[in-house]
Amino acid sequence: MPQNAENVLDHFELFRQPEYKEMFEKKKQFENPTADAELERVCEWTKTKDYRDKNFAREALTINPAKACQPLGAVFAAVGFEATLPFVHGSQGCVAYYRSHFSRHFKEPTSCVSSSMTEDAAVFGGLNNMVDGLANAYNMYKPKMIAVSTTCMAEVIGDDLNAFIKTAKEKGSVPAEFDVTFAHTPAFVGSHVTGYDNVMKGILEHFWDGKAGTAPALERKPNEKINLIGGFDGYTIGNLREIKRVFASMGVEYTILGDASDVWDTPTDGEFRMYDGGTTLEDAANALHAKATISMQQFCTEKTLPYIAGKGQETVALNFPVGVQATDKFLMELARLTGKPISAELAKERGRLVDAIADSNAHIHGKKFAIYGDPDLTLGLAGFLLELGAEPVHILSTNGGKAWAAKVQELFDSSPFGANCHVYPNKDLWHMRSLLFTEPVDFLIGNTYGKYLERDTGAPLIRIGFPIFDRHHHHRYPVWGYQGALNVLVWILDKIFDEMDHSTNEVGKTDYSFDIIR
Amino acid sequence: MNTLAATAPQVFHEPGCAKNKGKSTSDRKKGCAKQLAPGAAAGGCAFDGAKIALQPITDVAHLVHGPIACEGNSWDNRGAKSSGSTLYRTSFTTDMNETDVVFGGEKRLFRSIKEIIDKYAPPAVFVYQTCVPAMTGDDIGAVCKAAAQKFGKPIVPVIAPGFVGSKNLGNKLAGEALLDHVIGTQEPEYTTPYDINIIGEYNLAGELWQVRPLLDELGIRILACLSGDAKYHEVASSHRARAAMMVCSKAMINVARKMEERYGIPFFEGSFYGVGDMSDSLREIARLLIERGAPAELQARTEALIAREEARAWARLAPYKERLAGKRVLLITGGVKSWSVVAALQELGVEIVGASVKKSTRRDKEKIKQLLGGDAHMIDDMRPREMYKMLAEARADIMLSGGRSQFVALKAKMPWLDINQERHHAYAGYEGMVELVQEIDKALSNPVWKQVRRPAPWGATALGVEGQATKRIAALPASRAA
Repeated sequence: MPQNAENVLDHFELFRQPEYKEMFEKKKQFENPTADAELERVCEWTKTKDYRDKNFAREALTINPAKACQPLGAVFAAVGFEATLPFVHGSQGCVAYYRSHFSRHFKEPTSCVSSSMTEDAAVFGGLNNMVDGLANAYNMYKPKMIAVSTTCMAEVIGDDLNAFIKTAKEKGSVPAEFDVTFAHTPAFVGSHVTGYDNVMKGILEHFWDGKAGTAPALERKPNEKINLIGGFDGYTIGNLREIKRVFASMGVEYTILGDASDVWDTPTDGEFRMYDGGTTLEDAANALHAKATISMQQFCTEKTLPYIAGKGQETVALNFPVGVQATDKFLMELARLTGKPISAELAKERGRLVDAIADSNAHIHGKKFAIYGDPDLTLGLAGFLLELGAEPVHILSTNGGKAWAAKVQELFDSSPFGANCHVYPNKDLWHMRSLLFTEPVDFLIGNTYGKYLERDTGAPLIRIGFPIFDRHHHHRYPVWGYQGALNVLVWILDKIFDEMDHSTNEVGKTDYSFDIIR
Repeated sequence: MNTLAATAPQVFHEPGCAKNKGKSTSDRKKGCAKQLAPGAAAGGCAFDGAKIALQPITDVAHLVHGPIACEGNSWDNRGAKSSGSTLYRTSFTTDMNETDVVFGGEKRLFRSIKEIIDKYAPPAVFVYQTCVPAMTGDDIGAVCKAAAQKFGKPIVPVIAPGFVGSKNLGNKLAGEALLDHVIGTQEPEYTTPYDINIIGEYNLAGELWQVRPLLDELGIRILACLSGDAKYHEVASSHRARAAMMVCSKAMINVARKMEERYGIPFFEGSFYGVGDMSDSLREIARLLIERGAPAELQARTEALIAREEARAWARLAPYKERLAGKRVLLITGGVKSWSVVAALQELGVEIVGASVKKSTRRDKEKIKQLLGGDAHMIDDMRPREMYKMLAEARADIMLSGGRSQFVALKAKMPWLDINQERHHAYAGYEGMVELVQEIDKALSNPVWKQVRRPAPWGATALGVEGQATKRIAALPASRAA
């Protein structure tokens, strides 16, 4: 027997034992097998230009999408506020997904509840679920605020969140003055970045516009503070901490709107923190008075920023700034808005980053990259690669549309290294597969799902994006700021050198180039 | 057995060295190593020089007798490539400890040799002396002799402890070790009228392999290369070569000259860098071989090959001519590379604004002077600070240099391309010239250099940092020396 009690084999080893191998072989003939040659032929055909053309002519089906749904972004935005419980009105299965999705990426629990709508609610509306749900959530989890968003189920039947919340308050689910914000976040519109945008705007509207008619709207009394919105960002822990350091270094007074850097990175010290850190509700309200708001991700704040601008603030939209020039732009804007000089500390860090890039430029120069991911992330990374003298030849996004594609093209046009690069809006990872076969690249940048592409096409994967499930703790490192760009540079270089070692490690065949100095 | 005290002065008296010939008797006695200035940054030691000269011999075990410092820091740190054995990349050291220092390390050394023979059975073991056992008086020569008798294998003592002098002296002492213990101790299986030695070529980044196919095509056999991609047997039987080419003029001139003296092998000094130099070297090899009795038709075949390869190389270089014309290049590198690369780049219309001559011989310098038209561009031993000043004044578009100076260059906002031993591209031969030009073109066009030269976009702080640096540069003394 392959398995015995003395020496129990786990899944890595068990099915490699001869008994199992033999069994699998025998099973095959009962499983309507295709002849190996035919299998091989079709496999090879899927790598051709012919197949690629058919693949790109695809109209209805999405295969391996590189995006998630609105409520995922909704939860992301909500947990960034002080003691706020994200409450997703709809079916509870969806919410379980969001929680596990975040927990797998951040290696932290994510508190989030649903109104657990079932069949009767689908027929008669989810009002009762809202009334009971808010009451239970308020009493059991003692939040300071509840941020309501929706799943598809509630959206299909058209539940009116504003009215429901009012009714629930009237029925005493939560005290009348308790903050319950809301945003409609149907998954059949947009993606997680849209959900982020909607909830961020919903929370600001709640505080600034008179809490859904229950309080007088705030009047803006401009001060010198700067608001910053990070957007949906897998590196939010490292990034926001880095941003705070930058602000402190320049002596800028700021409010980060939606700061999940603490709640997704709680210490193990014997205390469970269901809520930790986050933007205080007072700061969220007072953010109205700020001089300006900087969004680090334009496509995560397409509705929020114009709303803020409408209040009289200046707004600045960036695209996930990574690298020297992108960080320069961020700091220059910050200096312009605040009138404060960029600190010597940051100037020095800039010099160090340039130094590091120059040290390694020969290894990255001319290397071809494929990148996929969220619209802003891909823009930021592509900009950095161009700066390094690399060629980001395929830039693909499932949730990036025409506006995003135009912006990427503009970026390509700004550098001679962008000449042979193409942008692919609203495409999925199966499209990427065809691209990688027909126009191969040296490296692929994407999230964990890219590992299938890596296995399939042989393009080595550099894991940058969300979610990253199969490598731990990278989300603790910043990718913004000069320090962050240094991290990205190192991750890229590590892969380049790993590949170099890998391709030269055959004993007696290729190891004449297996060097210790690279 | 030669003692160090006897060998070192002998090396200093090297008559093949043009520079040495030009010295007065008293100057010659002082030796050719420049007196090191205590407190000033300096290059590698004699041990390092000996190690890098011999380590490319791939199938022998290189055993370093000393504390961990010597081998620990130098293990496999050069990109000398091997087409066969990788034993040379395995690190062997006696890792001497306190007890060995007090009671002597000879026994440990002997046991180490035994263990190497038992476990690896290499054709030979090279034992490197280092400072500590040299001071405590371990008789490495005697141990090697005893071990060689006991195990019936060549055990070669390489007596070049760090303190005796510079890296260059170490190169030469290593050469002496080969002359004393290796060369002429075995016979080749067969010989041909086309057998040559290549001396002072280390096959860095596999450069020898870019030249070898050309020689193969002509039917010329490299009997031994000292020491790139060499096997012990090849080196041991190298005395049967008909002619030799000396590549790195400063490192092993004593070997080339003494082999001429002892075995009548004529040599010439040549280079594989640059189209013209590569062709000249092939011509010289053919000429010497014919002189030594090879059929005269070799010359015609060589010329045909040169014509074909030159045409091919120029055709491939043509597209770069336009892109590189008028670019200003500063060369900070050693010895032979300076003049050979100068010639090559000038062929492409590149302007050479300066070339270092630190490791160059008098002949090298003559050549550079000729090529550059005057010695104003020649830079001798340059301290990092001075180099920084010179670079910061931006008199060049790119610097070609080695791994140490490039980091200074970068601080002075100067693009650089590494052409010394840690580089990863092979620049030898016709193929290598194309590669070099490609790399220069790439380095010049990399966007980071624009970034490096551009001050941070904010004005006020930029003045703080950039302005101070500019001031500091302006305050430095003038930098150029002949």
